[in-house]
Formats: sequence, structure tokens, C-alpha cells
Amino acid sequence: MRLIKITILFLIPVCMGLITSAHATSSNDGRPVGGMLNYGEYGRPATIDPITSNDMIALRISELLFNGLVGINAKQEIVPELAQKWDVSPDGSVYTFYLRPDVKWHPRPGEEAKPFTANDVVFTYNIMMHPKTVTSLKVRYEFIQEAKKIDEHTVQFILKRPILNALAKFTFKIIPEFGPQNSLYLRRDDPFVRNPVGTGPYRLVETTANGEVVMEANQSYFMGRPHIDKFVAKPFADQNIMNQALMFNSIDMTVLVNPRDIPELQGDKRYVLQPYNALSYAFFGYNTRNPLLVDKRVRKAFTLAINREEMLDSFFNSRGTVISGPFAPGSWAYNLDVRPDPYDTDRARALLQEAGFSQGDDGIMVKDGKRLSLSLKVPIAKESEATKRVVLAFKNYLKKVGAEVNVEFMEWQAWKEAVFQNHEFDIMFASWVFDDSADISSLFHSAEIGPWKNNFGAYSNPEIDGLIAEAKLSLDHEKKRTIYRKLHAMLSEESPYTFLWTLTNYAGYNKKIRHVNIHPYKFFTFADSWYIPEGKQ
Amino acid sequence: MLFRQFQVEISESNQLSWWRTAGRKNKIYVIYGLAVVLAVLVSYGLGALHWLPHDPDDMNFDSLMAGPFTGGYLLGTDFMGRDLLTRLILGTQAYFLPGLMAIAIALVLGAVLGVSAGYRGGRVDTVVVYCNNLIDSFPRLILVLLVIAAFKPDIYYIMAVVGVTAAPLVASLVKGKVLFLRQKNFIESAIALGIPARVIIIKHILWYNCRALLLIQATLGMAEAILIETSLSYLGFGVQEPIPSWGNMVQAGANYLLQGNFWPSTAPALAILFTVLGFHLLGDGLNDILERQQ
Repeated sequence: MRLIKITILFLIPVCMGLITSAHATSSNDGRPVGGMLNYGEYGRPATIDPITSNDMIALRISELLFNGLVGINAKQEIVPELAQKWDVSPDGSVYTFYLRPDVKWHPRPGEEAKPFTANDVVFTYNIMMHPKTVTSLKVRYEFIQEAKKIDEHTVQFILKRPILNALAKFTFKIIPEFGPQNSLYLRRDDPFVRNPVGTGPYRLVETTANGEVVMEANQSYFMGRPHIDKFVAKPFADQNIMNQALMFNSIDMTVLVNPRDIPELQGDKRYVLQPYNALSYAFFGYNTRNPLLVDKRVRKAFTLAINREEMLDSFFNSRGTVISGPFAPGSWAYNLDVRPDPYDTDRARALLQEAGFSQGDDGIMVKDGKRLSLSLKVPIAKESEATKRVVLAFKNYLKKVGAEVNVEFMEWQAWKEAVFQNHEFDIMFASWVFDDSADISSLFHSAEIGPWKNNFGAYSNPEIDGLIAEAKLSLDHEKKRTIYRKLHAMLSEESPYTFLWTLTNYAGYNKKIRHVNIHPYKFFTFADSWYIPEGKQ
Repeated sequence: MLFRQFQVEISESNQLSWWRTAGRKNKIYVIYGLAVVLAVLVSYGLGALHWLPHDPDDMNFDSLMAGPFTGGYLLGTDFMGRDLLTRLILGTQAYFLPGLMAIAIALVLGAVLGVSAGYRGGRVDTVVVYCNNLIDSFPRLILVLLVIAAFKPDIYYIMAVVGVTAAPLVASLVKGKVLFLRQKNFIESAIALGIPARVIIIKHILWYNCRALLLIQATLGMAEAILIETSLSYLGFGVQEPIPSWGNMVQAGANYLLQGNFWPSTAPALAILFTVLGFHLLGDGLNDILERQQ
């Protein structure tokens, strides 16, 4: 398979991820300093702090503004960041971090830069876990019992139980104690969420009235001053215009090139088209509250009835991989032995008949007097035309095996309420984005059924629940991998989703930007080592 | 005889000799306009009977955005590999009936208001003029969007709004006509003969003397309805995929315009252009021929 272009929409990032800056060394590496990088984003973020925000645009910005206790470098090794070293107790349940004493928060205008201390770490943990805080991160840190300050520059985390690879979870971004107005919990009405202060390589200057987020280099960044002087995130409401802006040099980079613009950029020597793999995939999710969809044979029939290869080829120029299970193919948890189901309408029809359906007069399958007619709810917000292609093709494929799909395009917020709160849908279309912990427990565990929880389809299977719980408790990587491979095979058979594909993302940027290293989904992790040659600034 | 004169005045506007006396330009307008109306009617009929060159939802992944005259597609295919001609023909379904409904609302409401204002005058007139100004002062598209927000993006709700908001214009035209006719002898005579007011209004004023005006307003109203439907569908508020509308076809095609695939959006755009132009020219030509003559 080759590369893709992502497109569909980013759902809430399921689990915010591991990797944090593996920062290049300081600016005395001989590369030139200076210049400005304008990059285009499709849409604007509601908040840009690392806790309340849940979209990819904000995630990318907070990567520039903040640091975690530890980072993960390009080789997947854990490296020091705000913590210079750490101890783990022999039983793996106490983590002690020794913080860098030389880190300062970005100064607010007219104020002295305040030092970063253990208080900030404890504060961040507490505010993140407060029940009233609006965040999607809580589930990820429930394994921690408490955070304790030992002295100004030492902090201790006591775990409820030892877990595998716990250190990687301490990549969460630290916010200052003096930041939020409300020191107990953080909600989206706090001024801090729009005007945050961090320790990262770039400091927020302002968000302009037309939504541009202006960031400038943190001169006293503890890992060395970044090379490029200024980063500006420019929001666009139209991807065509964003691409034209790149072609006419009013921006220098787009983080995600639309698939249809790839050929144009590819043929142009002034630009670089750089692929980066995202741990994400698109899927159709089924609501098992609908009695017609309870039988796994029906869901399996739908998977067999659609030709994923053909859609991938025609709509995305084969820039992706068809998948067979609940993990992204780049992930260690993905089971390559499970092949994606082939396109087979005969078997799909046979399965439907096995499940008790027979063809009605109008060509639609009927069971006990009920027509196999389902609603498919699709948010229209982003990337509507690639989405449109996929869902309309889906509708056509299913028509061929006797299932009627009524496509309903909805506004983003209304869609989220319909799917995640009220569960008024039969089929939905979305994408998940993962970090490399490949944690799928919130998607398929029956404890995760309920309003605003991720098991929106109310999929419940004791065997799957058991495997998920077992994987969570497992402290051995190989064992966990074996369980995940089993989960993969089972979920492929059970088809709570029709798993579609992972697309390869492309960033497009002007050739003048050099040493561009892109993190799979945080994007700007290595941005402090990017530079622009002197003559081109 | 009074009664005789009355008959003559009526027949003046009733004879069909207008075609002979019409100017060449207006004849061309009307012929073109009627051709468009015929095309719309035929398309509507074909769509309703499902006599179409291709299945409108059938996707041919091997020829996405094919040009005209390729692979058995007379007008080519759209971004999903669906036949453009079929979808253009079906696109008339999106506005035809809703447009007729909008016209009916506008004409009935406009005629009622116009006649009451013109015939009775006085307080009724004041109220009608006030209502007209009220509706007139509200931007139509905003009203349509409000209705969409309050109810749902249903084309019939939208067209009801279009009809109601078009009524003031019709009313003011009818009112002017009625004021003009009231001074005429035949109305006076009809009143003197004891003909009931409703007969005078419906038969002698509206049917004999306003029908040309109403017909012209209907053609212009259809043009307006098409424009509103297509612009809302373009914006994503009107007819939703996979049901074709010229508006959502232009929108879908526009995504590929800059990549050099101009045809999938140009074809429906031309359809809109020529159809709306046809209705406008028809209205214009009829206006010149029927109204100026009197």
C-alpha cells in the first residue's frame, strides 16, 4: 500500500498521545535563526490550552507552547524534558521526578518570568482530574492515585496499580499554577484556555480578531532557542483557498493537504509534499440498540458488501491501507494475520438470509415484517466532499445487497449530540485518532456505554470485556500484544464497526523551510529544530 | 347600450391578436422562454416517470468526472462517477413543485391583498401597505435561514417563505391595476347593474384584466424560486445529497474547479443560467406584449 491523505474528520482524539518533544539541541547547532512560518489550518480551535481542547488544531498549537515531564524522541525512546531524571520504585508503583531548576514560564506582558516548580505539576494533575474539568484526558490518568510535592523541584506520583509503560503517560503537558483563574477546575469559560502560558519553545503573543494564532520564539527556552522566530496559525474556512494561499505564498505550510490537491503540489518544484503516518482510521459504526443490527451476521454482511479497495483507489488515489480491525496498521497492536474481508456480495446476501432476512417486493431485505432500512448520520462540517463520496458509495453498495440507507448530513454539534448523547442513529461515519498505547477499551468495553462515552453503539460482549480488562492489567508487553491480536481477530469477526482504512497524511510546505521533521499527529513536536536559510527569511 | 359597451371593453383584452402585433424581439423572448418551460416540463415528466438515460445513483468509479461524450455519458459524469445529464434532468424535481407552490402562495396572497387594498381602499389599504412594507423590509435570505433554523431544511418550508415574501410585490401591482380599473366605465356599469362585488372582482377585474399580470409574475416567480432553491442547495441548506439539485451539483463540482475539472460544476451552472434567463425573458416579453399594449 502506499500513502494516503487523510480526510475524513477528526473525532475527539481518543487518547491523547505519548510522544512529546525530542527537542533538537540549542540554536548553536550552526543553523540560521530567524524568519517566520505561516501555516494554514482548516478551521479554528475553540480553546488552545492542553487540557480542555479536543481538536487536532489545538493539539498542534499546544505542542509548540507546552512541555511534558518527559518526552519521547523520534526513536520512541523516553527522554527528559521538564524532568531531568526520575526514579521508579522496585514494585513499579511510585514514580519520582526530579525537575529542571532552570525552567521559566513564558512571561506575561510587563511581568517577570515565573519559575516552574513542583507545585505546577501537582496543580496540573489535580485540575486535570477534577470532576468538573472539561477534558478528554481523565480516563488516561485514572491509574494514578495521587501526585505529591516532595520539595520545590521533586514530585512523586503514586499509582493505584503498576501498569505497563507508565512512564510514557507522563508526557502530559504541564500548565502553570498561576494560569487559570479558577484553581480547582478548568472549564472553557476560563480566560486561560484562550490565552495560555506555557514553557515550550514558542510563546503565545496573541490570537487576532480574525483567528490567527501568533506565536514567537521563546528566547530563553530551556532546551535552546528555536530557530524560526515566529509561527502563525492562519485559519481557513475553505480548503481550496488554503491550497491557493500556499501556491501564492501567503502561507508557507499546510499541515494536511487535501487529497485532491496532491497532484498539483507534487508537480511543483517550489513545494515539498511530506507524508506522515497517523495512527488513525475511518469506520462506519453500528448502533446495536437497533434490533436489526444486533446480529453480527448483519454487520458482517455490510462489511462484505462494500468494496473498500475500490473506494480507496478511486477517491484517495490508493493513498492508504484497508484495515481489518480496531487498531491502526502502523501500531504494534495491529494483527497482520487478520486479512480485510474481500468484497463479496454473494456472501453478504447469504449472511443476511442466514440472519433471517428475505428479499421484499421492492428489493429491500425484510425480517419479521421489518424492512432493513437504516439511517446513516454524517457530520457535514469538515472535508465534506471526501466524506460525501464515501457515504454515498456506502449507500449504493448496501443497496445492491438489499439494505436501504438513508443518509442524513448534519451540522457537527447536532451530529455529536445525536450520536454520542441521544444515540439516535443506526450507522455513523467517523475516524478515530490514536496514540501508540493503542488503547481501545473506551471504544468497545460495555462499561463505556452511556451519554458522551465512546462506546456509542452500545456494543457489549462479555468475552471482549474480559480481554480488554486482561490487557489493561497485563504488565508484560508481549502478553499484552498477544491479547490485542486476539481482540483484533474477534472484533474483526464481530464487526461492531465496518473498519475502512488508514490514510496517509501529507504536509505541504515551501521548500525554504528546512530540516522538517513531522510527528505523526502532534505535528510540531520537532519544530524547534526547523529552520529557514538566511537568504530566504 | 351600457351592457354592450361593457362587453366590448372586456373583449378588448380578451382577444388573441396580440401575437400579430408583437415586436420581433419580444416574440423571440417569448419563444425562447416557452422552449425553456417546455424543457423543464419534459424534464420533470421524465424524472417523475423514471425515464432516464442512467440510474442517477449509479456510480462508475472508473470514470470519475469524465468529460462530455465519453463512455456513454452524453454530458459526462460528476465527482462520484454519476451521469450528469440524468442528474440535471432530475434536478428539476428539486424546484418544480416547490416553485409552483411558492408561485401559488404569492399570487393568491398577492391578489387578495392587492384587490382589497385597491378596491376597498381606506383602512384595508393602510393595513395592506403596512404589511407590505413590513415584509419588504426584511431580507429574504435571512428569513429563509431563520425558517431553516426554526424548523428544518425542507424545501417546502423554504418555498412557503419565498411565496409569502413575494406576495407584497404582486399585491402592489394588483392594487395599481385595480385603482386604474376602478375609474373605468365598465366597473361603474357593472356596479350599476347590481352585479355582486365578488363577481366583479373575480371575473371582471382579476380574470379579464389581471391574468396577464399574474402570468408574468408567475414566470418571474419561478425564476426567483429556482435561484433561491439552487443557492440554498449550493450552501448546503436545501436539497441534500444524494438527491440531485442543480445547486448542490454546482457546489460539489466547485471543489474540483481549480484542479481543472470545470465541467461538473459548469454544466449545472449553465442549466441554471439558461433556465432562469428563459423565465425572465418570457416574463419580460409577455409584459411588453400584453401589458404595454393596453
